[in-house]
Amino acid sequence: MNGRPEVVRFVPGQPDMWAFVLFEGFVFTAYFGVYVFSRARSPDLFLESQAHLDLRIGFFNTLALLASSWSVARCVQAAREGSYRAATTNAFLTMLFGFVFLVSKLREWVVEIEQGFTFTADEFSSFYYFLTGIHFLHLLIGFVALAVAVYQLRSPARRSQEIVETCATYWHTIDFLWVLIFALLYVMR
Amino acid sequence: MSAAPPDSKRELWIGWWTLVVFYNLYGLLFFVITRTQPPPEPSLDPSEVVQWFHDRHYGLLYGYAIVSIVGGATAIMNATLAYSMRRMSVSRAFAYSYLVIYALATLPGMLIMGVACTVGAMRPDRDPALMSWIYDFAFLSFEGTMGVFLIGSLVWMVAVLLDENGVFPKWFGYLNLCNALTEVVVAPAWIFKSGPFAWNGAIAWWINMGVFVTYTVVFLTLLRRMILREDFGTGPLPELAP
Repeated sequence: MNGRPEVVRFVPGQPDMWAFVLFEGFVFTAYFGVYVFSRARSPDLFLESQAHLDLRIGFFNTLALLASSWSVARCVQAAREGSYRAATTNAFLTMLFGFVFLVSKLREWVVEIEQGFTFTADEFSSFYYFLTGIHFLHLLIGFVALAVAVYQLRSPARRSQEIVETCATYWHTIDFLWVLIFALLYVMR
Repeated sequence: MSAAPPDSKRELWIGWWTLVVFYNLYGLLFFVITRTQPPPEPSLDPSEVVQWFHDRHYGLLYGYAIVSIVGGATAIMNATLAYSMRRMSVSRAFAYSYLVIYALATLPGMLIMGVACTVGAMRPDRDPALMSWIYDFAFLSFEGTMGVFLIGSLVWMVAVLLDENGVFPKWFGYLNLCNALTEVVVAPAWIFKSGPFAWNGAIAWWINMGVFVTYTVVFLTLLRRMILREDFGTGPLPELAP
């Protein structure tokens, strides 16, 4: 012992999920790198095509996911305090915010496709549908993660705090990736 | 001759070494001998396709002859992978599902492409339009058919996450999800003939290949560790002594 207080290293949930976050971070960084490289080669085309996107809808979607991150954080906090009823309510609230994002995103796609802004319309649109599409897939998996969290919270026999926090970590990743996608596709002009 | 003890790891090591040799051979055959990987451009015109087959004539014929011979090794490999799931605390259905889905994997994973490329290389004087058809068929069958591997990864993922015997660390379950998601990313290769989403594109091929190679190295390492830890019991796998 050297007299210093022992530092207990702690990450919420399974450290394994953080490995997933890191690895997905690498993969998405590679996708973003290809996007930025392509954009640098045809800046005018990308700028012109970006005009099809409605920044207000993008912002609304971002708010919906940020709200979902807030509620899932409250879910974890309530579960830590033993308030499982509140934790379950917040998990359902997270699902609701996620569902708001899902409906809003689907509606945005439908409107854009009706206007002729399709997956193959131009290079920017391909990236737009690809990045938002693969993110959408992560969101769908996120609902499974939230369902696992609710399943854990509902029975005193299960209630693994670690699993609840692992599911919340996954959900935060969805939000984290969306903020980056929003910045790259909607904001960066 | 004395019989091997019933708990011999010999069979498991045969399976593991088959995996290691096969993947190395696979890389050699596809990247060096046949030169079909990294994949060429989907946008080649018929005369360029004929030239492409001409440049690889003997590599395609001999390379894919070897591929068709060693293809059967996948049975041993898949059995070794399925064994890891049988050693877990989960239902046998996982191992069975994995075996069935991966029994199909040799078709999109090598045999269809091998047959198509061999057909193209066998008669180089064929009509260029037909050669172009064979070329598309070969590469779309190989690069664009990832559903088998997607489901296989998801089966392994769920098994690892539910397992209570600690056969693999949980992060490997999540790595399976990463791998499965990149299999989805290949889908646009059916639509695009150039750019990052085409079958030779930065996103549909290069990034995916990076993830797949990482995934393969990881599961080979973890399988080796599993065999070292194997005690042929039914409970949790013991940890290795430091």
